[in-house]
Amino acid sequence: MIRFLSRCFLTLVLILTAYPFVWMLLASFKSNQQIYKPDQLIPTSFDPFAFEILFSNDLFLFNEVLARSILLSGGQALFACLVTAAAGYAIAKGNFRGRKLIFGAAILLILFPKQAMSLFLFEWISVLGLTGDVYGFLLSGVASGLGVVFFTQVFRKVPTELVDLSLLEGQSHTGCFLSLLPLMMPALITYGMIHFVLSWQEHLLPLLVLGNDQLTLPLALAKLSDSSYRVPEAVGLAAGVLAMVPMLFLFGFFFRRIRTALSDWVVS
Amino acid sequence: MSGARSGTGFSSFLPLFGPFILLWALFWLVPLFYGVELSLSGSTGATLSTSPSIQENSIYLGNYQTALSDVKFLKSIENTTLFVLGSISLSLILGFCLAVVIFKLNRILQALCLFVLLIPSLALPGTLAKLFYLFFHGKSGALNQFIVLPLGFDPINWMMNPDWILPCLIFQSVWRWVGLVTLLLYCGMRAIPRWQFETARLEGASGGQIIQSILLPGVRHLLWFAAVFLLVDGVAAFSGAYNLLGGSGGVLDAGLLFVTYAYQVAFPGGSGRFDLPLASAMSVMVAVGAASIAFLMIRINAKKRVVV
Repeated sequence: MIRFLSRCFLTLVLILTAYPFVWMLLASFKSNQQIYKPDQLIPTSFDPFAFEILFSNDLFLFNEVLARSILLSGGQALFACLVTAAAGYAIAKGNFRGRKLIFGAAILLILFPKQAMSLFLFEWISVLGLTGDVYGFLLSGVASGLGVVFFTQVFRKVPTELVDLSLLEGQSHTGCFLSLLPLMMPALITYGMIHFVLSWQEHLLPLLVLGNDQLTLPLALAKLSDSSYRVPEAVGLAAGVLAMVPMLFLFGFFFRRIRTALSDWVVS
Repeated sequence: MSGARSGTGFSSFLPLFGPFILLWALFWLVPLFYGVELSLSGSTGATLSTSPSIQENSIYLGNYQTALSDVKFLKSIENTTLFVLGSISLSLILGFCLAVVIFKLNRILQALCLFVLLIPSLALPGTLAKLFYLFFHGKSGALNQFIVLPLGFDPINWMMNPDWILPCLIFQSVWRWVGLVTLLLYCGMRAIPRWQFETARLEGASGGQIIQSILLPGVRHLLWFAAVFLLVDGVAAFSGAYNLLGGSGGVLDAGLLFVTYAYQVAFPGGSGRFDLPLASAMSVMVAVGAASIAFLMIRINAKKRVVV
């Protein structure tokens, strides 16, 4: 009985989580009139007008928005992986003074809410003269506390003998770190994914730092919700669908590895 | 320290941690100091008459006083606190229950369920807000249609009723994060050694006893971790509320979250005041406050782990 009830509960939650997204996909083909009736699932006709409006570039250059989001999030994820994995290696395998301080710096980075700091960062970036600079913005999101903590624990589990061996062969620690990277692929992919998603969803900082013609997806989406634009609701939903597709694809593809890496990480 | 081994010193690791520390200083430490300094400078909006000589010689705390006597600021802090408490407790409870149920399924179903639960966390918060607005909310929305009306209540006008705006935001947040919490707890449960379950079975423990004495203690540290993560994320929640309420606080500011308000204070538009120093003072207080609470939570967790 309990078993049956708990299964029912699970099914209910699953429907509650997933159904709206199916609805969203189908609603991106609907007219406003149909969208305002949430109990209607199947559109009366599959007319891709919303996608046509998006790609017609009347509102903004949607191709560019998509490309910019992918470049920013991908770049941040890639550099964050390298930079934080290197720092994690140094903390895990080094025994120099001050490595606890580095770890502490990473913890501070986690503890301070990023968006409460956005205002300061925005001011500072304008002092640096990087306002509206996509690459400056990319760099600002690379240092990640979560990444350092994650990789420190990952590298702690790498046998010290492996490191000693490559040091005996005359490699420097940097060389050793680089040669360990292929072994670390599941962890790198997992963290890369997490960082990618977080920066994909970043809203406030791009809003402040990037120019009006440098929209990222969250900004474009907020613009579409803005009533002054007077676009059919389907356009916003279509943009939402397009923003989700790359994510679902990536996560679906790597889901097993992510689960394995998370399970390993959780133990430590 | 094993100084004898070659290349274990500070300098040989510098190229490895150098980039992180450099970026950390450049995009975290310096901005923080800059923000603190900004918060101590005279207000650009309200107190233009403050003479610069006073600011240079003594620490100017006027912005902090202004913030603390600002009714809207206090309201936004109260809202944010309720929002954070609500979303943490609901996400953790629901996530734990889901993880327990999923843990007992077979492998393929496990993967499927976890993936479906993760879908909302992959969507943009703006998308969630839009879906919430179009699908759940509204007189004929799913919430009224399937929950409120069948229970015999009058349909609720969610976004226009100040009592319900905050629950709506919490609903969004839980919807978004519960999958991630479930995944984390599920991974933690899988890491529990098999023999514990076998011993429990031999002793004839009931399902409830297994949950209470094996599963819950096994993932306790992850619950704390998730709570810290949700706290830090929730304090800084912005995108969902911004999309749902268009940058305002909603009716009677019932949905005014802190970051939205700081944004309103800092930048003109609608009710904006372009008062960066005041907004900085608010941000400093909230950032430091949230960080201290999160730090305390980590400390408590660390102590518990040592005892157990």
